[in-house]
Amino acid sequence: MQTINKNKKGWSIRDVIFLAIIGIFFGIIYQLWSYAYYAIAATPLKAYANDATLGVWIMAGPLAGILLQKVGATVIGELLAAAVEMLLFSSWGASTLISGFIQGIGNELGFAATGYKNWGKLGLLLSTIGSTIITFIWDLFQSGYSSYNFGMLISLFIIRFISIGFFAGVLVYWTKSLLDKTGLIK
Amino acid sequence: MKLKPLNPAILFLIMLGIGLQTTFVKSVWLNCIVSLLSILYIIIFRRVKLKTIFIVILVTLPLAFGSWWSFMLFGTTDKWHIAWIYGTRVYAYLLIGSALTLTVSVKQLLFNLAGHLKLSETFVFGLLAAFNLLPRVRQQFKRIQYSAQMRGITYRPWQPGLYLRIIIIALNWSGDLAEAMTSQGFSEGYQRTALQTQRLPKWQWGLTILLLLLYTYCGFILKPW
Repeated sequence: MQTINKNKKGWSIRDVIFLAIIGIFFGIIYQLWSYAYYAIAATPLKAYANDATLGVWIMAGPLAGILLQKVGATVIGELLAAAVEMLLFSSWGASTLISGFIQGIGNELGFAATGYKNWGKLGLLLSTIGSTIITFIWDLFQSGYSSYNFGMLISLFIIRFISIGFFAGVLVYWTKSLLDKTGLIK
Repeated sequence: MKLKPLNPAILFLIMLGIGLQTTFVKSVWLNCIVSLLSILYIIIFRRVKLKTIFIVILVTLPLAFGSWWSFMLFGTTDKWHIAWIYGTRVYAYLLIGSALTLTVSVKQLLFNLAGHLKLSETFVFGLLAAFNLLPRVRQQFKRIQYSAQMRGITYRPWQPGLYLRIIIIALNWSGDLAEAMTSQGFSEGYQRTALQTQRLPKWQWGLTILLLLLYTYCGFILKPW
């Protein structure tokens, strides 16, 4: 009787548990992080708080992508982190899952643009650009960014790109480099 | 007559369907109606104390206020209306989400998603297995921080070392757990017998379609204030 999926393309129970555990760790980090967010979000600067802290919330996707290196890993990784957050840490429900999906798709598009061949600097760069653009378009509707003036939109977009670029790009890259040195993942 | 809660899978669909549309609907009234109906549902079928519901609502107040205030200050046109839309939207999102998370247990939800919406069981059992580790993950997170402090390092969320340790632990634990599960007979992609399945009567599908269409009609055609 076959019990384990040996096919690298499919999702094995181990992959799911692996990402879910990372998701739980992220949940704890989000909780710590959310105090900072919360302090600014109660003021009119809420939009800036959103964009400046967004990168941390987006990290799980690209991290899952470069760790598992398969089609869909980024979206599913981000969705799993969102599911963990929704089920264990917050009561935001629908919006957590929906935004997890939107963020994941943005990152996934970046990796897809390289034909899923580049999981290094270029892939991560494109993935951060993808998720900055997609999540920004989403927020034009969801958070009503379309009602802000143009100058403010530009500054929000730049802040968002810096945040996503650092956390979901540079930091993920550094982490991967450290991990490569340990030789734990081939 | 005793009221019966909706099937968790149905509740999940309603939540996603309305949550997704809420992003594009600009109506203070609809936000309030969604919020009120959700509160009612939560109060009737809650799994938590009333106090918890109260705290959830209270804690969100500053966020809703932040949204409202931000549009009053930076909004370009029709400030009052826009500010109230996004202020109340925060609550519509929160409460429709809570209508699921505060009334259904994680296990119930995942089993019903697998049973009625074809969510892969690899994901259901993988998630459940990981969720049981929650207390240990919390403990481990503290341990990572303490052991770093022993060497004079304090990990912050922007340091790659923190994530490296998290990944190594996740790798070890997921390997152990997956092995334990397969050795106990867990098979991927095979039929399994379910101990208990919650029924999903046909009328609940009807209700879902009705509610979602009604919301679409009100939100995009009637467009109340």
